[in-house]
Amino acid sequence: MTEPRTCPSCGAAAPGESNFCEECGTALSADVLVSGAPTTPAPEAGESSPIEDMDSGPISSATTNHSATAAQESAAPVACASCGGSIGPDGYCEQCGVKALSPRDHFREQPAPWVAGVCDKGIRHHRNEDAMATSASPDGTARDRRAVLVVLDGVSNTDDSQVGSLAGAKAALAALTVPFPDGLGTDGSRVAAVTHVLTNAVKAAQAEVVAAATPEAANPASATFSAAVLEGDVVSFANVGDSRSYWLPDSSPGVQLSVDDSAAQGLIAAGMPRAEAESSPQAHAITKWLGQDSEEPTPTVGQLRITEPGWLLVCSDGLWNYASEPAQLVEQIRRTGTDDPAALALALTDYAYGQGGQDNITTVLARIPGPVLVHNADPTPTSKEQPHG
Amino acid sequence: MAEFVATVYQNEFLPDGGTDVNAIVTITCTGAGTAGQSATGTVGSSTAGEIIIVDTSGSMGHETMEGAKDAAQAALAEIVDGTRFAVIAGTDSAFLAYPLVQDGPALAVMDAQSREEASSAISQFRASGGTAIGSWLDLAGSVFASVPEVTQRHAILLTDGENGEQPARLDAAIQRATGYFQCDCRGAGTDWKVEELRRVAQALLGTVDIIPSPSEMREEFRTIMQTAMGRGVADAQLRVWSPQGAQVLFVRQVAPTVEDLSDRRTTVNPLTGGYPTGAWGDESRDYHVAVRLPAKAVGQEQLAARVQLALGDDVVTQGLVKATWSNDSELTAKIDKQVAHYTGQVELASMIQEGLAAKAAGDGATATTKLGRAVQLAAETGNAEATTRLRKVVDVDDEKEGTVRLKRTVDKADEMALDTASTKTTRIKK
Ligand SMILES: [Zn+2]
Ligand SMILES: [Zn+2]
Repeated sequence: MTEPRTCPSCGAAAPGESNFCEECGTALSADVLVSGAPTTPAPEAGESSPIEDMDSGPISSATTNHSATAAQESAAPVACASCGGSIGPDGYCEQCGVKALSPRDHFREQPAPWVAGVCDKGIRHHRNEDAMATSASPDGTARDRRAVLVVLDGVSNTDDSQVGSLAGAKAALAALTVPFPDGLGTDGSRVAAVTHVLTNAVKAAQAEVVAAATPEAANPASATFSAAVLEGDVVSFANVGDSRSYWLPDSSPGVQLSVDDSAAQGLIAAGMPRAEAESSPQAHAITKWLGQDSEEPTPTVGQLRITEPGWLLVCSDGLWNYASEPAQLVEQIRRTGTDDPAALALALTDYAYGQGGQDNITTVLARIPGPVLVHNADPTPTSKEQPHG
Repeated sequence: MAEFVATVYQNEFLPDGGTDVNAIVTITCTGAGTAGQSATGTVGSSTAGEIIIVDTSGSMGHETMEGAKDAAQAALAEIVDGTRFAVIAGTDSAFLAYPLVQDGPALAVMDAQSREEASSAISQFRASGGTAIGSWLDLAGSVFASVPEVTQRHAILLTDGENGEQPARLDAAIQRATGYFQCDCRGAGTDWKVEELRRVAQALLGTVDIIPSPSEMREEFRTIMQTAMGRGVADAQLRVWSPQGAQVLFVRQVAPTVEDLSDRRTTVNPLTGGYPTGAWGDESRDYHVAVRLPAKAVGQEQLAARVQLALGDDVVTQGLVKATWSNDSELTAKIDKQVAHYTGQVELASMIQEGLAAKAAGDGATATTKLGRAVQLAAETGNAEATTRLRKVVDVDDEKEGTVRLKRTVDKADEMALDTASTKTTRIKK
């Protein structure tokens, strides 16, 4: 039995299993999310990463503190990640002025050396409504390797999307941690079985996003969904909305695996060039999402067989807005020149910051050192199909 | 209990490679209460002391002397019962007109009887002798020092003439008084030196102004004393923290008047400077803080300054000044309205002062250029009072371009009023 808890920030009652306050998003336990003790090394002072928490405001707006201790961030780490100085009650370092990372606004995961993610508020938004959840087997070169990469992007201007997205990501991860069933053993039934599991993961996430808002909420929480599961050499992926998965091999052209449910995608399908479609006024309007006002969202799913080394990427539009084409992403990866997924996830977040950081930024990566299984005459098909029923 | 609130106005966005952060921090005090009462709240044990210093030199004409007496008596009426007070008459030396004591505590406790006695002492003033402001300040300091319980010390000083002491003598007296008591200064008529009295007032955290006509003295003194009595917060310190490696370019009060505080910095700790602000009533003061930071990569955010107000060791409010580097030129190009407004007002003050100094030195060309720029700035920043005062000294051909001609004949009082009021700023229309 867990003790009943209250949020240290706002005092709201917190159910035993939740890691963040449902009222204000404050982290309730430090064991799940990385903040003061990142699993990836903190950047060296002097070449520190810009992925600090941002709190931007409109020009000329006034900021007021009623007392020196008004801006308490009780979940903030004690030591500055940049210089090691102590963090003031206002949430900033008392030596170098860097803002302490708030655990919901910036968190990192690295379940195994070959899988890592960064989920960050970005520059312009006031809170981080993106969420991610990851799991991975220890060895990325093992034949039985398995990794699950989940990203949910809470829709802004809805209530408690930051709560729904995080709970949804965790629920989806839980639904995807068991190995996929083989069905009847035939390729067709295997695909159908995987599709069923992925659809169940979407349902699990949907239930959490719905639960994040009261039934009478004016703007109930809603979110996108994108997940990729690597099992051996096969990537299975699913998405609802416009969060994406990409396969970015080291020496062949990269591909976008997911297909957006967005107005822009509709325009592309109708023949408009991608760059033009994605910069059209309604480009970001999504046509499918998770939430109360979306009944039984069905994902677009697919599978891909890995034949060479590369990166599996699942991300929110906060990243791909600045590098939509696979080649653009590959270019940024080349610039970084690293094989470390944690370093690359930070670098890509940095890149999005440098481009303006207009949205929350989530970048989840698996470094895949090449195929681990021997296949004969397998045509490595990419199949995409709607689930049945 | 007094409550303080700090509000920050700034554009926190810096371009790639940008280093300088500017912010206006407004600090507002409410519930200040009455001077000297906050500590105990009981009458008779006030910690506030008031001294009225009146020039009684021979230059004070009959009308001015009578006006000054009336004004001093009006000020007495505003001093809250229980407050410690004294009256000093100033000539070539200073003498304690009330209370009439030779030694021991030289501040009386205000009540009906002491007010009456002080009033009657004032009515005995006769004009004779010279003007030695330094000696007046020194006596005021000694009088305050005679009652150690008085911790909030304020004086009003009225003079009508130029100081007769060596400048070094006055400077030394100002230095002794600085940080010990506050002093509002007023000049009667037009035979006194604005620069001289401004030096006293600025050092002693007070105001300076001209009282052109004796009939205006009474109201002026009443107002000054009312304001002083409303300062229930005896003393506060402005504190500016800046991060390691940063440089505080300047700290200025920009409203209600311009005062550069940069040189008054004392060290609170290695990253924090303290600046005296004196006593506070229910009021707002605006500060312009400029900090230079080492540039960081685009996308980084950090704190550029913590601007705090401290009562003793207690920080009672804090405003956060931030810096965020961005390559969004739409964000970085904007100058905050408040920062722009006060930058203009500070330039306005110096243009008026420099223009009038050039005019006094007979450099008409420089005076025309500087006062022209002042006219332009007053219009741009919407300082209607400055515009009105400037138009009494120059004829304006083109306000927008700042084209002016010096008036052939100028009322000296108008020119002095322009000078004394040069540091008064207007607030931005929100
Ligand atoms: Zn909370
Ligand atoms: Zn630090």
